[in-house]
Amino acid sequence: MKKAMKGVLAAATCLSIIGCGSKTTETKSGEEGKVFNIYAWNEEFKGFFEKYYKVPEGVEVKWTIVPSDNGAYQEALDAALTNQANAKDDEKVDMFLAEADYILKYTNADVTQDIKALGVTDFSNTYQYTVEAASDSNGTVKGVSFQCCPSALIYRRSIAKDVLGTDDPAQVQEALNSWEKFDAVAQQAKDKGYLMTPSYAETYRVFSNNVSSPWVDADKNLQMDPQITAWMDQAENYVKNEYTLTEGIWDAGKNEQMGKDGKAMCFFGPAWYFNFCMGPAHDEKTGTIGDWAICEGPQAHFWGGTWLLAPTGTDNPTMLADVMNTFINDEEVCKNLIVNEAQFTNNQKVNNEVAADANYKSDFLGGQNDVAIFAELAKNIKFQNVTIYDQYMNEGLQTNYVEFLKGTVSKEKALDNFYKYINEKIPGIKTPESK
Amino acid sequence: MKKGKQQPISYAKWGYIFIIPFFVVYIIFTLYPQILTFYNSFFENYKEGLTQVGPNFVGLDNYIQLLSPGSDGTIDIFKYFGNTMIMWIAGAIPQFVVALLLALIFTSSRLKLKGQGFAKAVIYMPNLIMASAFAMLFFSLFSTVGPINKMLIDSGILDKAIDFASIKITARGLVAVMNFIMWFGNTTIVLMAGIMGIDEALFESARIDGATSTHVFTDITLPLLRPILVYVMITSLIGGLQMFDVPQVLSKGVGMPDRSTFTVVMYLNNYLGGSKNYGMAGAISVILFVITGILSILVFKLMKKED
Repeated sequence: MKKAMKGVLAAATCLSIIGCGSKTTETKSGEEGKVFNIYAWNEEFKGFFEKYYKVPEGVEVKWTIVPSDNGAYQEALDAALTNQANAKDDEKVDMFLAEADYILKYTNADVTQDIKALGVTDFSNTYQYTVEAASDSNGTVKGVSFQCCPSALIYRRSIAKDVLGTDDPAQVQEALNSWEKFDAVAQQAKDKGYLMTPSYAETYRVFSNNVSSPWVDADKNLQMDPQITAWMDQAENYVKNEYTLTEGIWDAGKNEQMGKDGKAMCFFGPAWYFNFCMGPAHDEKTGTIGDWAICEGPQAHFWGGTWLLAPTGTDNPTMLADVMNTFINDEEVCKNLIVNEAQFTNNQKVNNEVAADANYKSDFLGGQNDVAIFAELAKNIKFQNVTIYDQYMNEGLQTNYVEFLKGTVSKEKALDNFYKYINEKIPGIKTPESK
Repeated sequence: MKKGKQQPISYAKWGYIFIIPFFVVYIIFTLYPQILTFYNSFFENYKEGLTQVGPNFVGLDNYIQLLSPGSDGTIDIFKYFGNTMIMWIAGAIPQFVVALLLALIFTSSRLKLKGQGFAKAVIYMPNLIMASAFAMLFFSLFSTVGPINKMLIDSGILDKAIDFASIKITARGLVAVMNFIMWFGNTTIVLMAGIMGIDEALFESARIDGATSTHVFTDITLPLLRPILVYVMITSLIGGLQMFDVPQVLSKGVGMPDRSTFTVVMYLNNYLGGSKNYGMAGAISVILFVITGILSILVFKLMKKED
């Protein structure tokens, strides 16, 4: 038996060696590739793409979807992009998606290319920050975002009514427009048996988006911005006072709070969040459709956003440019994204039209015109103090710091563990734990 | 009639030819990467974003960095090695005991159990599930809002959900339980093969001589099973030291609580994933290799000595 196995193994090896040796005889003609490969970390854009983009005849679209936890998506993407030059035409990455947390890593490298040269030239309607985020240090634009992601405070109307006596967005905003007021309301909410937020990290982005210095300085020292430490203090305070839970922002225990029996009043997120990531709230039977509304909250911020980037070496440049143009400049598609998909698009003209449309309202938000609010918030977005390490920093801090919040370790120990994680993941960064 | 000079036919030649493929595969896929790992461990070689740094020869720097104590005075890699050993032993002891018991029951000529094939298939089944999927299942089962907590609260045993993954003993316990469930079936099958390899006549004559079951077990089964036991223990040890997927998934990759379920290979993975740090990852692999070697020899010697 063992020998037979070895024989089979040997035969397989020989075959694979022969397989590798045979030369691919594809020749490059004027025509474009037959396979359009897209890399993404979830199904969100795939849904829009399949619904609203008309794929040219004879082209097959192939999706490679790898979840982004622990940097897994970046690892898969890096491997594919590094191999781009050697890959067969049908296997070359033709477009890939990237988030704000790590987009710089790709735009600043030569794995992406100038999209103006490909025919994406009209940025008159896009939001400036989305273009800046997709540009390299010389200002060459290498991708576009199909959404603009100002983030809002999303609150439960019924709980706000009980705690604040009103669910009107303007009045709720008045009651929650600074962190001092937010803290005070948190106590009121607790007195009535509610939670202020469903997760210790719910407000993380609000703080981390307003930092005055990047995570890593020019000498590669890790630095904690006052905004980050302010978040750490708030999280500590909120957990201690039971204003929030020790659930991570994507944990099942947090999502449970979105349903009918949920006790949490405030969530934070952009349009994609309440449409795409609040599943339990959207459930017909156990959900809370219509019991939500949005306002600006204590601090302006944005969260995430999906950029479509143009990889160097794609064999479908025309189609790539066409996809990008469709999602930023095709007014019909953009309108559909808002009306049917509850997105806030990257086309100011369409957004402003919908914002002014008295007939447009979101059922999920109890009839509120969310686009009108987002159009205001979008004016305040700045893309600044960003590094290529942000995903590891943001995730690493949250997952390690929560251990302190749970009472498992001391604060120093939690930070030590965070520094260790960073030292392991990113060589060369100087942390207090570096050897 | 003259007979031609008879050449002795050498079958040995065919033996060598037949084992060539194994050695070819071994050299390409095992030996060569192993040597490369050693080689890489002396270099600074990683990616910063998408920019390649190195490879630059740095001598023993990677080892020095790994083996120098942190701010709290402990050497990280030994701490993670300790975690790995604790979780392995906690799973391996019940694994061997249960597997040995089951192997004895299944092979007993006096019991002659019915439906053995079915039982064997069932106990082997968990081994067929992907470890990470299995860990994901446990992760959901034991989460704060999972069915186990719900059941315990509904039945009045608990009044507040327990965060199993955040308590040292339960987090490690879950890893050990999963390893046990996944591997006891496999060990049972191997031990059964070992027991069935023992001459049935020995058992019969012992029984005729009036030996009790305990005597048969301690004086016949165990001593004759020793080579197989050594094999099972060493393979389990090596597998245990390479523990990765179960704790990785269960602890969201950070080895919570306080890195107490963080294993050596998770440590290695943190270096390798993301920044492709071949230098440090190589050095960890070499240290793990040395430790594994020493421990395997130790187990082997200990088991032999008792002869």
